[in-house]
Amino acid sequence: MIVYTLFVVSLIVFAITQILPADAAVMMLGENATKEALDALRQTMGLDAPVWQQYATWLWHVLQGNLGTSLRTGQPVGPAMFEALGRSLLLAVFSIGLMLILAVPLGIIAAIRRGKVADIVVSLVSYAGVALPEFVTATIAVLIFADWMKWLPPTGYVPLTENFVDGIVHLVLPVCVISIILIAHVSRMVRSELVDVLHTDYIRAARLKGISSGQVLRRHALRNALLPTITIVALDVGYLLGGVIVVEEIFAIPGIGRQLIVAIQARDLPAIQAGVLIMAATYSIVNFIADILYAWLDKRIQYD
Amino acid sequence: MTEFMKRLLKTPQGAIGILLVGLVMLVVVFGPMVAPHDPEALSPLSRYKGPSLSYWLGTDQYGRDIFSRLLIGARATVVMAVLATIAGTLIGALIGTASAFLGGRADELIMRTIDAVMSIPSLLFALLVVNLLGSSTINALIAVAIAFAPGMARITRSVALSVRKQDYVNAAIARGESSAYIIRREMLPNVVAPIIVEMTIRVSFAVMLFATLSFLGLGAQPPAAEWGLMVSEARRYMHLSAGILIWPSVAIAIVAVGFNLLGDGLRDALNPRT
Amino acid sequence: MTNTEDCPVLAIENYSLDYETANGPYHALKTINLAIKRGEILGLVGESGSGKTSLAWSIMRYLPTNAREPGGKILLCGDNLLEKSERQMETFRGRRISMVFQDPSTSLNPTLSLGTQLSEVLVRHRGLTRQQAWKEGEALLAHVGLKTPAQMMHRMPHEASGGEKQRVVIASAFACNPQCIIFDEPTTALDVITSRQILDLFVELQAETGVASLYISHDLALVARTASRVAVIRRGGIVEQGSVREIFINPQQAYTRELIAAVPDPAHRLVKDDVVATDEPLVKVENVSVYFGRKPFFAALTGRKMDRVTGNNAINLVVNASEILGIVGESGSGKSTLAKAMTGLNRFEGRIWFDGREICSSSDMDNAYRKDVQIIFQHPDASLNPRQKISEILSRPLKLFGNATDLDKQIGDMLEQVRLPRTHANRYPHQLSGGEKQRVAIARAFASRPKLVICDEITSALDVSVQASVVELLLELQKASGTAYLFITHDLNLIRQIAHRIAVMYRGDLIEVVKADEIDNPDRADYTRRLIEAVPRAAAQYQ
Repeated sequence: MIVYTLFVVSLIVFAITQILPADAAVMMLGENATKEALDALRQTMGLDAPVWQQYATWLWHVLQGNLGTSLRTGQPVGPAMFEALGRSLLLAVFSIGLMLILAVPLGIIAAIRRGKVADIVVSLVSYAGVALPEFVTATIAVLIFADWMKWLPPTGYVPLTENFVDGIVHLVLPVCVISIILIAHVSRMVRSELVDVLHTDYIRAARLKGISSGQVLRRHALRNALLPTITIVALDVGYLLGGVIVVEEIFAIPGIGRQLIVAIQARDLPAIQAGVLIMAATYSIVNFIADILYAWLDKRIQYD
Repeated sequence: MTEFMKRLLKTPQGAIGILLVGLVMLVVVFGPMVAPHDPEALSPLSRYKGPSLSYWLGTDQYGRDIFSRLLIGARATVVMAVLATIAGTLIGALIGTASAFLGGRADELIMRTIDAVMSIPSLLFALLVVNLLGSSTINALIAVAIAFAPGMARITRSVALSVRKQDYVNAAIARGESSAYIIRREMLPNVVAPIIVEMTIRVSFAVMLFATLSFLGLGAQPPAAEWGLMVSEARRYMHLSAGILIWPSVAIAIVAVGFNLLGDGLRDALNPRT
Repeated sequence: MTNTEDCPVLAIENYSLDYETANGPYHALKTINLAIKRGEILGLVGESGSGKTSLAWSIMRYLPTNAREPGGKILLCGDNLLEKSERQMETFRGRRISMVFQDPSTSLNPTLSLGTQLSEVLVRHRGLTRQQAWKEGEALLAHVGLKTPAQMMHRMPHEASGGEKQRVVIASAFACNPQCIIFDEPTTALDVITSRQILDLFVELQAETGVASLYISHDLALVARTASRVAVIRRGGIVEQGSVREIFINPQQAYTRELIAAVPDPAHRLVKDDVVATDEPLVKVENVSVYFGRKPFFAALTGRKMDRVTGNNAINLVVNASEILGIVGESGSGKSTLAKAMTGLNRFEGRIWFDGREICSSSDMDNAYRKDVQIIFQHPDASLNPRQKISEILSRPLKLFGNATDLDKQIGDMLEQVRLPRTHANRYPHQLSGGEKQRVAIARAFASRPKLVICDEITSALDVSVQASVVELLLELQKASGTAYLFITHDLNLIRQIAHRIAVMYRGDLIEVVKADEIDNPDRADYTRRLIEAVPRAAAQYQ
């Protein structure tokens, strides 16, 4: 499945970069290069071959782990992209962690207190959460917490290995900004799943066996309600990756999102191809793992 | 129709949604006529002004009236988002219905491909398309429409498949109705409702996606009064006057919340069985 | 908690229940008075919406938030349950009063093993440790007749059959020796033979423990077999109560009489056996098989194997003109599959002869065939498009098969033919009751004056009295038009009343086709005999 997905993605990416009105040879040698020099370079790069052959060559190289050479820096794209991916994943993992810590309890509270004040507050918060794009929340957050309060640094990235505390401090704002929309979405999903489960016959049956409401919630309801959340979170990873692009740009974090923006602006084709492929692969792998996890948990969910 | 409106207004989501979306639509239609100032008139003497009688929401870094810019930018922001969503929905609905109708291997192949396309984040997809076509408002519209199409195709297909299994469709097939009649009169009216709901909610995503593209310099270009662009331009001056940043953000939020609530309200009102 | 013989275990006194709705209070239960003694089974019979399930929730104190209780008492051995707190009720439920539900496949948590769900009651109420509870659970499962209790404890609900699951539910209801158990239609979701076994188990356990039982059902025949006393409930009020014998022999209220009359009684045939079997039958089904399942694209690529599921296995069947042929069988026996094959909704192998013409696939079913063969589905909710008015629904067959002139008048006539007012043409399906919707579906099927109408479980979603009137209508239409019916049902008593011949199906195979009045003949096929024995006969002994 992943193989097919990545194959389609590679086709799309290659198609888009082929249509891009940019000539790789011109980009490398500059506008003033002679025609002979350009032709020679095109030949060595294989740019004069038919499109499908270029694609096959590119794909063959990719399969061997060679993602090409950046037109902008002249360095191999692969190592740079994967290094950037590491930083982005750090951001993403923290964001998903924060989201799970907040969204799941919020959704549960809203479902249990359905129609009560707590539910209304949670749903208002979630409506507000999906109302602003990341770049707006990020900008406002910088304005409030960095400019006015001076609690946190406005931008920048410090590797955790270099200075752990400083690194974490620099991550606080980006992580919070990315999490907001995810929290809003996931808490709503958790709520509606749990409300559905609480209305099933088996929950009623458990209550009528005399099991207390707390125990019914813990043993019977939560397991079944949280299971679909795995799928939802996995699908949200697509949204998360989009958010990562914006947030990295604003907070000047040298992750894969920022690399991609730079590559797109510079029309650095190999870098674009590699970046998109890596992002799609990340998304596919996460969803693949989620599917397996779901199937595994669904069969043998048990309390001992 | 009146009965439908009554049902829509009965839910709080529907009522507030209608109110907010109605307000936005009024601004879209009449905004440019009632704007008190020329949105592009620079006045270096009155920069970074706070709200006053003359400038209701204050002025920006070039001394332009923020309120007038918002009124005029509504068209660029909201109309584009609605158009892009409709275009994306139509493309998606076509693919989704075709896939559901063809069934079998064609269906499976189309859906696997859609899955694959969806593994590229929609923002990134839009970025690539804009980059391919060149940055402009129209290209941003096309980009958003293309980015939305796979998701809508998925939803349309699943709705169409569930309707396809209903006994009233079986009854029509057993009666020997033509495919055209079955699709048009039996399936479509039942498929359209959930798609309209999804489309309404997606308008708010489109607004945000547009704003984000403008922010990244790939959508509307200065000095346009597009709201996302306004936020993006305000970033450098926000410590001088928070208003330039806040007001367009509020405008974006109103549109997004409004369409979200309206979608939720429609979901309840369009269900024929309640 | 000691109670003497004459003191009732469960007593409901002047109890009323309202639901707050947007249109003011809805009176769900009106001054109910009931009492159940130890060792007694009280049958509570009513149609859908009569309030019988509301009463069960009231007794269990499990009511929605919009419920109001204007007055009355519910006494369990003298304790008024209305005065108990939720915490106290939690200690009562499952220990002093418990419940068995309609559908075991939804009342068991799909993600917990059967053993876990059984033993948690024991841990909760009998203070056992997990290990003790598990051991005790095995003993309980053995007691309810499960052959391999130790393995069954470890199974997940989807790994057990409906009957096995219901046995587990019953085991957990009896687990703490409660004083009273409420049975809410415990066999309705099960197949005929299984449901008979569950019923036998219930009677046995009840006699053994002497638990006071409230047996809720829509099926008078069933209640007459099990209960000692019967209460009839309608629109939230008890119409009549008394011993089973009293109610059946000498019903006091018109509604009770109506209800008893509506129960299908195989001894009381509603059709004459005047069908002549000719050499030229209307329909001849020849070696028709239906298989499901197709290789998914990617499975095909990777060469994974996929087994075909057999829906119908080489069926041979004949329907004569003007004949009512019943098809009976349990769920999954292939009855509906055959109906769908005959209407072009399922791909089939084999041949169908209709009126002398050969049909080899759905493409052979031309307009003339479709005009002559109509199908009516089980759920009118699903078979009528919710977004079309009745007039549009009824106009389609006229446009396709008849003459489309003067549609309004024709539609009005069609409605009158099925005894609905002409004005219903302007309504949407959701504005009609279940019985009315099914009449619309019948009207649609008869619009083209078909020669064969396939009725796929068309009465099973309806209440008994509505079912009786729909059946009456069908027979009238049959008499008037001479249409043949293929009447698919799981209700043996009903089909024995109205069919000329009955076809018995089991797991996709046709077991046998017999004349309706010979189906209880002892030399019938083994499966047919088991089926007939399992069905509770409408309390014939009282009539």
